Amino acid sequence: MNGHVKSMHFQRFMETATTLLSLLLVMAFDSSRTVAASRNQQCGNSVQQSLKLSRLLQKESVDLIKTYKASQGEMSELFCKVPVNNVPDPNISGLEPSEKIASIYSHLQEFFPHFKWVYEQQTDLQLPTSPLLSDLKRFSAGSRNLAVLINNFYQSLFPNVPLPEGGPTTLPPPQNVFQQKVYGCVVLKTFKELLSNVSRELRSLKSQVCRRRTHTNALF
Amino acid sequence: MVSAGELLLLAGLVLAVPAKGGFSQTNHLVTAPQTTQFLEIGSNFKATCMIINTTEVTADDLYWNLAETTVSKELYTKLNESAISVTIPVTSGKSQWLYCKAKEEKSSYVYLNTGKFIYGVFLKKGYPPGKPENVSCVAVQKKTTISSTFSCQWATVGRQTSDVPTEYTLNVVVIHSQNYSVSTEGTHAQVEFVDTYPHFMNLEVWVEAHNKLGKIESERITQDANSFVKTNPPSDIKVISEKDFPTSPLMNWTQPIDKSYGKLKYEIRFCAIGSPNWTYVPKRDIAIDIQSFRLQSLQPYTEYITQVRCQLGDWSDWSDNTTTKTAEDRPTSKPDVWRTIAEVDGKNERRVQFVSKDPVFANGRIITFDIKIQEQKNDNLQWDTILVNGSESSDGQRVITVLKDMLLADLRPVRLYVTASNSVGKSPMASLLILAKGHEYPPVKGLKVWSAEGKLWLQWTPPNGSEVSEYVVEWVSGDQTDWQRENKHTRLTAIKGNLEEFVRYTVSVYSIYSGRIGKPASKEVYLKDGAPLEGPVVRLNDKPGRNEAELGWVEIPLHRRRGFIIYYTINYTGGGETHEITVPGNTTSYTLKSLSSNTKYDTWINASTVRGSAQSSTHSFTTLKYAPGEVEGIVVGVSLGFLFVVLMTMLLCVYKKDVIKENLWPRIPNPGESTIGSWSPDYPLKAETPKENCLSGISVLDVDVCDGKSVFEEDKACLPLKKDKYLSEEHSSGIGGSSCMSSPRQSVSDSDEGSDMADTTASTVQYSSVVASNGYKGQTPNPHPQQAVFSRSESTQPLLDSEENPDMMIQEGSRQSQRFKQENPAEIHLLEMDQQQQQEEEEVESLDFCPLDEESEQTNPSEGQSAGSSYMSQREGYRPQ
Repeated sequence: MNGHVKSMHFQRFMETATTLLSLLLVMAFDSSRTVAASRNQQCGNSVQQSLKLSRLLQKESVDLIKTYKASQGEMSELFCKVPVNNVPDPNISGLEPSEKIASIYSHLQEFFPHFKWVYEQQTDLQLPTSPLLSDLKRFSAGSRNLAVLINNFYQSLFPNVPLPEGGPTTLPPPQNVFQQKVYGCVVLKTFKELLSNVSRELRSLKSQVCRRRTHTNALF
Repeated sequence: MVSAGELLLLAGLVLAVPAKGGFSQTNHLVTAPQTTQFLEIGSNFKATCMIINTTEVTADDLYWNLAETTVSKELYTKLNESAISVTIPVTSGKSQWLYCKAKEEKSSYVYLNTGKFIYGVFLKKGYPPGKPENVSCVAVQKKTTISSTFSCQWATVGRQTSDVPTEYTLNVVVIHSQNYSVSTEGTHAQVEFVDTYPHFMNLEVWVEAHNKLGKIESERITQDANSFVKTNPPSDIKVISEKDFPTSPLMNWTQPIDKSYGKLKYEIRFCAIGSPNWTYVPKRDIAIDIQSFRLQSLQPYTEYITQVRCQLGDWSDWSDNTTTKTAEDRPTSKPDVWRTIAEVDGKNERRVQFVSKDPVFANGRIITFDIKIQEQKNDNLQWDTILVNGSESSDGQRVITVLKDMLLADLRPVRLYVTASNSVGKSPMASLLILAKGHEYPPVKGLKVWSAEGKLWLQWTPPNGSEVSEYVVEWVSGDQTDWQRENKHTRLTAIKGNLEEFVRYTVSVYSIYSGRIGKPASKEVYLKDGAPLEGPVVRLNDKPGRNEAELGWVEIPLHRRRGFIIYYTINYTGGGETHEITVPGNTTSYTLKSLSSNTKYDTWINASTVRGSAQSSTHSFTTLKYAPGEVEGIVVGVSLGFLFVVLMTMLLCVYKKDVIKENLWPRIPNPGESTIGSWSPDYPLKAETPKENCLSGISVLDVDVCDGKSVFEEDKACLPLKKDKYLSEEHSSGIGGSSCMSSPRQSVSDSDEGSDMADTTASTVQYSSVVASNGYKGQTPNPHPQQAVFSRSESTQPLLDSEENPDMMIQEGSRQSQRFKQENPAEIHLLEMDQQQQQEEEEVESLDFCPLDEESEQTNPSEGQSAGSSYMSQREGYRPQ
């Protein structure tokens, strides 16, 4: 009898506990869904903005290279075909999204000193009113904005994890005018290649990371 | 009660002032607060004044002045013996000083050092800033990129004063990147992004308003930077009209900015030329990021203006107009057929003119109208084609084409069928039936026409008991006719045609009964009336009278009238007075009465409409001195009077003949009946009547010098009263037959000149010599023959005037002439006797002389000589006179 009573009490306790646990599970699930939706939206916005800006910069890089070639005088077509050392690699490395995003960010950071260097060189070579200078400036600023957006994207995916800064950039040694012209063109051309890679990777990340995280949250 | 804080403040102030080493040496009053204060209007301000370094005054001697006005003591609070505070309400108005002062009459020291007993605080009044609202920012396209200039504007809220101005700070944050801010006192500002516009980055924008009384921020806007971008409108817009799609032209354009900046939305609108409203293509029908679009449901053969704009963030401006005409299509509505009818004088016929407007939906240029006219039911009709010259009205009105002119018997109906064709096809057929005269359907009732809002409005009531299918509103001005159709439910409408101001229109409403035209209801009206451009032409209908004149005037030509003449004002002035008469507008003549005679009048007429009047030119006329017939009346009256007088005189002469004769011609003894005459027994006194004297018994002597030409003029002798002169001559020979011949004098009664002449010759009047001879013709010889007597008068005495006895003179004259003619000595003798007797009787009377005798004698001496040759010598004695 006592045993039966004890069993009855235990059973009631278990039922209550189960009910409470179920309630907690439901609340937790609902909460996680809300957070996931918010994060997913944030992820989508930042990657979308990054992707759009990378496309815009890609288009602007095409125009900039044309402007660059037009402002370099004769044999400008040849400048871009001459191999140059010390120009950052346009290829994005890493397998995981975080690695890829970090690679994008670091590559972008690596190019900024080169842009500055090219701008300074072209400032000496071009008239102050040359559209190339303003285009270079605008393009460089846009690239920095892209880096900011990549950072935002990364932060949206991996909050509280700082992006690794790129390594020290090696600028070329002093160059003659021809070398300067070749160097500038190669930098722009390489950066355009980088942008192309970035766009591709961002598209991939958009479809993978944002959806996967949503899926992960859903599973959770 | 004084709070501890205030006392602490004052204590600090007292301690601080000497430390500054400033006015403490000179001022004995100090306030807290000391400097300029910015105060919110509507709040209260409290200030404290404290006495320092003197015992001349106490807190009771202090008072506050706000500018020039002393603050009421009720607002004071005495803190202690050396401090006083005041709390004043801050009202709206200019900034002003609040002074703490000490009464000057307290002591001579205060009086002499008033500058030390005054201290002021400058109060600047204002309002705290209002929250900026409606913050909007834009970055416009510059060439192929977006400008890095970011412009914002906002609206201020709340009031401001010039003493407390509000400053605004525009804050723009590129999230995770740069911050920008710029301040201004206006309501717009702009920031310049570094190097480039931050495409696809989030911006946070807000405006902070701040002044001395506080600060406040607007709502923060966090948006993608591209949402602030305003691009240029699309360019190179082309609208392609395709023959197979007359209602759906295709339009395409070039987007203003590269797609990499974002996908653009578009909005399209179009309108037919002349239409006041745009038609917008629904946005849901326009896809994003397109560069071509096919418009739908446009009218064929119609010019359209098309515009496009795009949106990246903000909507761009509308593109420039692109004008395109859609392709032609078959007319889809009937031609608008109408008719005008004019009566033909003297015949039972009507002149009918059929006219037509192009179909409303002509959908192309109408090239031809095909008509057929059916006068009888079984007419085998042929279509007549009328070519249209194709000119289009410049004012957007449809062109009216005359289809047919015909004479139509009054009692004969006719039906017209019309189709209109363009290059694509033929319209549906329209028909119009004109009924026999007198068989028309009833007109609409209660037609009202008025002008409002620049249009002519009509209102009517449909006729009773008839099925009206539609109405035609017709308006006619001169020879211009136009019309419009209204559906059968219309009761109020406005004329849609181009009406001119100041033109009179005859507006008619016809009810149409399935193509049969009813009787019209008509009104005359002006769209806008004004004062006439000229006055009427004034004239006189007839010659002016003595006291009246009939004025007539020609109505002002219709195109110069510009309104309904409601009255004419006739003005006329004459004799210094101006008169004014008003007559109704349908009057064209008026008779002016009570005019003065023989007076010049100026008259003019003012023709007046409700809007004003115009004056005619002045017409002048002069009234007559006499009324017509007045002169004739006077003449007739005078003539009648004269006739009456003459008649009365004649009657008087007839009835009072004896009296007159007695008075005028007193009885003179007839010599023939005298005793002298009796001495000749054989003298047939009775027989010797005037007859003999005048004609047969007397012959006139050729040498009669009384009238040289009257030698044979016996008539003169027979008409002694023919005329005065003649009479005078006779008179002059009043005594004796020789008086006329012998007297060189003129008759006294003839003239004064003659009188003078008589005076000069009076002393030597020579009377003619008369020779008496024996045996007068027909006379019995004297038994005692007398000797021939030659008598000559040498008397200087003038002859007696014989006017007193004219009858006697006549006789005498006659006799004398006879004597001269016959030269009968016996008779002459008797005559001399008679003369002698008469002269004796009239001795005292003067004599008249015949002037002509004198003249004759003077100018014709030869005649006198020849006459004298018949006389004998006269020296042998004259009879005494």
